[in-house]
Amino acid sequence: MTLSATLKKRLKYFDLELSFTCPTGRMMVMIGPSGGGKTTVIRMLAGLAKPDDGRIIFGDEVWFDAGQCIHIPPQKRRLGYVFQDYTLFPNLNLYDNAAFAAIDKKEVDVLFELFKIDHLKKRRPHMVSGGERQRCAICQALARHPRLLLLDEPFSALDVITRRGLREELKNLKGKLSCPVIYVTHDINEALFLADEILPVVDGKNDDGWLQRTITREPGSQAVSKGAREPRLSLVY
Amino acid sequence: MDYLALYVTIKLALVTTAVLMVIAAPIAYLLAYKHFPGKSFVEALIYLPMALPPTVIGFYLIILMGPRGWVGGIWESLTGGSLLFTFLGITVASIIYSIPFAVQPMKAAFQKIDRRLLDAAYILGLSKRATFMRVIIPNSVSGIAASAVLVFLHSIGAFGVLLMVGGSIPGQTKVASIAIYEAVEMMDYSAAGFLALSFIPISYAFLLLVNRLNEDSRI
Amino acid sequence: MFFVRLYVIYNTENIFKEISMKNKQFVLAFILITLMNPFSVLAQEKISVAVAANFISAFKEIATDFEKKTGVKVEATFSSTGNLYSQIQNGAPYDVFLSADEQRPDLLQKEGFTEGTFIYARGQAVLWSANKDFCNASSWQDALKNDKIKKIAIANPLTAPYGASAKAALQKSGLWEVMQSKLVNGQDIAQAFQYASTQAVDAGFCALSATSSPQGKVGCFYHIPEAPAIVQAGCILKRTKNKVGAELFITYIMSDQTTLIKKKYGYR
Repeated sequence: MTLSATLKKRLKYFDLELSFTCPTGRMMVMIGPSGGGKTTVIRMLAGLAKPDDGRIIFGDEVWFDAGQCIHIPPQKRRLGYVFQDYTLFPNLNLYDNAAFAAIDKKEVDVLFELFKIDHLKKRRPHMVSGGERQRCAICQALARHPRLLLLDEPFSALDVITRRGLREELKNLKGKLSCPVIYVTHDINEALFLADEILPVVDGKNDDGWLQRTITREPGSQAVSKGAREPRLSLVY
Repeated sequence: MDYLALYVTIKLALVTTAVLMVIAAPIAYLLAYKHFPGKSFVEALIYLPMALPPTVIGFYLIILMGPRGWVGGIWESLTGGSLLFTFLGITVASIIYSIPFAVQPMKAAFQKIDRRLLDAAYILGLSKRATFMRVIIPNSVSGIAASAVLVFLHSIGAFGVLLMVGGSIPGQTKVASIAIYEAVEMMDYSAAGFLALSFIPISYAFLLLVNRLNEDSRI
Repeated sequence: MFFVRLYVIYNTENIFKEISMKNKQFVLAFILITLMNPFSVLAQEKISVAVAANFISAFKEIATDFEKKTGVKVEATFSSTGNLYSQIQNGAPYDVFLSADEQRPDLLQKEGFTEGTFIYARGQAVLWSANKDFCNASSWQDALKNDKIKKIAIANPLTAPYGASAKAALQKSGLWEVMQSKLVNGQDIAQAFQYASTQAVDAGFCALSATSSPQGKVGCFYHIPEAPAIVQAGCILKRTKNKVGAELFITYIMSDQTTLIKKKYGYR
């Protein structure tokens, strides 16, 4: 199923205007400075916000069409959404959280093992670390067999090491997923690491020029950020 | 010792609390999450009983619930009985008197819930109603409990309103606070004293409960 | 004056700061004199009276008349007899107490709050309704037995003398048990009348004095011969600050000059 979206919305400081497509199995990363509208785009794809104009089409379903006044609510879109935090319900333990909307509860066990949080099943969200919470959030999203996976800066609140680890796991997972994945980040290295396609969003508009300005190609194949580099880490155990 | 009056008081408080928990939740939900034109006027109206002297509330309730009033008149034509001077009548009065104390803590508790949690619930497929029952309420338990306790305590102390609309009928509308007042009038100070004393352990126990609930929620 | 004293006591510091040195001595002297002088010039000009609720309208006229004739100001507090009695026991600063019964002034005498009691009026309980149709029955007992009459107000017989009188009348007529389901208790005679006047109830046992009030004239009433007269007694309280003024008032209220006023309001 391919996701295709044309979005227009008047925001406080600028007008958002974007158009993109994302086929199944591909990860499209939205990147850009904070406040550029990326989260708004994700919320519109999820059905939590309405564009002023445009269309959102998933496969052969019309999720939103301003002209025909169609707006499918988030409940009916069957997607997965991983926020930066707060996706987990504080009153449930991790297992119940992940199993909340699971299609098949047995899969939750598999996912927990995959993400290595099996031993924390009975704990409440406030009793585990940020990284473990985000792992559980991903399990929660995946357990639903989402048709579209949205991740809004899921690892930004975590420390560098955890972030790196989760990034790796996500990249491995990418190949196994049969849905389009939209990922938002402000970290260019992360984007370059994960993306099949990059969509730079600056002040609500696609700005490829920004990308050119911000990365540089070093001799060899790796494109690297012009800005502060991530330090090389050597861990001593 | 007027056990009957104490019984009426506690029965009234329990019924009021039970009814208000159900009525106040959707009102608190509306005030916490929805915006609509005239919202501030509606909100002020709901909090009005908190600002008015109880005798004023009682005064207008007599007019409304009496046989010539809107509410009272309709009630009489439907059931043939009067609304005033009955247990039902003082329950209605007690509910109106305590609405702000029910709505306020609930609204605060609902507002404390991060909106993203609600978004997450919608995305996982929960309808707004299911979200209310399975996400909002379980995560506002301490606020709801505080609301219940507040309403209960406020109800057992109701005096001015019930003095106006109750008619002090033993077993039906004569609550402990009125019984104390009448005992004093009759110069039966020991009876008044005993009844008054009985309020203290009840109120104290409930206040301890509120404290406990507040602490629990701070984990 | 009492409040002025309170204000001065609590704000002495501030007051002093605002006054210049020269005037300080004068102000100090003035304050000391008024504080220390319980019989200060201003006090003689008024008395404070605690009055039973049912006597309000009659009292207001009597008080106005008294003020005109003697120049002594009358400050009145109206409340239920029981309420006033407790207040007096707890030190409320009234000069005179006009009760709705004999019992409480007698008790005050026994407890040492007063020297002696006097009877100032005799009241009567009646059955009043805002609805003129109510009075078409052959007797008040028949009017009550009518099925259309659902609720009757009575001042709480345990605490209000008029209620007790009405209860006695009902018992004498053999109706007390039967009427239980219809009776609604008002805290005092004023509330019983309020219920009847606002038609929250169909009729109420009220004081005869209420029937001559503007609200009372709107309805109609039955006399209740079976109801014993309510003997209303009063007393001067020992702690009065104005014995002279109080005695003057008592003499006046017991004199023939007030008989007409009392009659007007249904008292003998």
